[in-house]
Amino acid sequence: MSEAHLIRQASDGDGQAIRALYERYSPRVFAVVRRIAGDDDLAQDYAQEAWIRAIRALPTFRGDARFSTWLHRIAVNSALQALRRADTRESREAPMPETLAVAPSVGDALLGRRLENALDQLPGRMRTVLILHDVEGYTHDEIGELMGVAPGTSKSQLFKARAKMRDLLQTLNASETQEVEA
Amino acid sequence: MKHLSLDTLARLVDERPTPGEREHLASCGRCATDLRSMRYQTEALGALPAVRPPQGDWAVLEARLESEGLVRGGGAIRKFGFAAAPRWMQAAAAIVLFLGGTGFGLTVAPGGVPGSEILGADGAIVAVNDISTLDGAAGAVRFTEQQYLDALTQFRRLEGEAGVARVGNPVSRMAALETLYAASQEALRVAPSDPVFNGFLVNVLAERQEVFRQMAASSDDGWF
Repeated sequence: MSEAHLIRQASDGDGQAIRALYERYSPRVFAVVRRIAGDDDLAQDYAQEAWIRAIRALPTFRGDARFSTWLHRIAVNSALQALRRADTRESREAPMPETLAVAPSVGDALLGRRLENALDQLPGRMRTVLILHDVEGYTHDEIGELMGVAPGTSKSQLFKARAKMRDLLQTLNASETQEVEA
Repeated sequence: MKHLSLDTLARLVDERPTPGEREHLASCGRCATDLRSMRYQTEALGALPAVRPPQGDWAVLEARLESEGLVRGGGAIRKFGFAAAPRWMQAAAAIVLFLGGTGFGLTVAPGGVPGSEILGADGAIVAVNDISTLDGAAGAVRFTEQQYLDALTQFRRLEGEAGVARVGNPVSRMAALETLYAASQEALRVAPSDPVFNGFLVNVLAERQEVFRQMAASSDDGWF
């Protein structure tokens, strides 16, 4: 079944079509909200909210953008709004992510885990900008629009976030080396 | 020699270096290495894989889609009955049965908890202790949930139109929450560590607190 047909069916409330869209896109939706949330439980709530919003808004989807882009934007918006409401992230000590990446190789999995750990330890706004720019490929204009800040602010937050990530990765690397030596 | 700052290196991942920075990078191995690392880190972030949602995520979503009327003609829940219902709905149905004293022999309050009544599918009020099967209980819970969500949707629409202070619904919203709160508490007396019942209670408490807050904020307009 073509994606356009699936979307029409889902828009009409067809459960099978909604399920098919969910199967196709849920890993990408969950990935972005998981990284923004920095927490598995919150991520599940945010992802659920994003899907409900998207299904509700499906009749307004006109196909001007790709469906994946449209859905992704809803997921990011939904997570950012929820995060603004919660606003509890700044000093939280992040646990190791428990979620499973989709089919990574062993080396990628180790690097990915290290990166996800470092991401979780970044302060909220820096983390969000870094995720949206470096992981998800948004421009500074788009990030500014999503986060309600100037593009220049997004840029300066990104540079700080990258620098902080470098520090965190070096610290993680050093502590892992010490553990191996011990 | 003064090295380039990490912020500068982070910028140089995307932007061209100034002549001074280029000159420095050409002569400073440490900064050149740091810039390569920063570029590698950025590329690795861009290659992070998608992440599977936790198991059971679809079942929870499906239940919400159902309860919000976003699925036409019913999904697996209506087609296959209680056994296919998501876990939260089974738990909620168990609460209803439990309050009625008909399920699992867990009678705590003969005659049910005072006020533990729900609207039947035909709109008539049904006491929860009149429900005797899991399918019946699941249906009753689903209907009550739908009623609550409908009221909530209406409330939120009115909130948007008229502002919370002039809307008469928080009281009935609070009454519905009180019933759910009582049901969750009774269930937790028997199964204090059950994660679903605990989750139910936490959600109800959070919602109740929010309604309290809204009602308190509206008190100047004559709520109390």
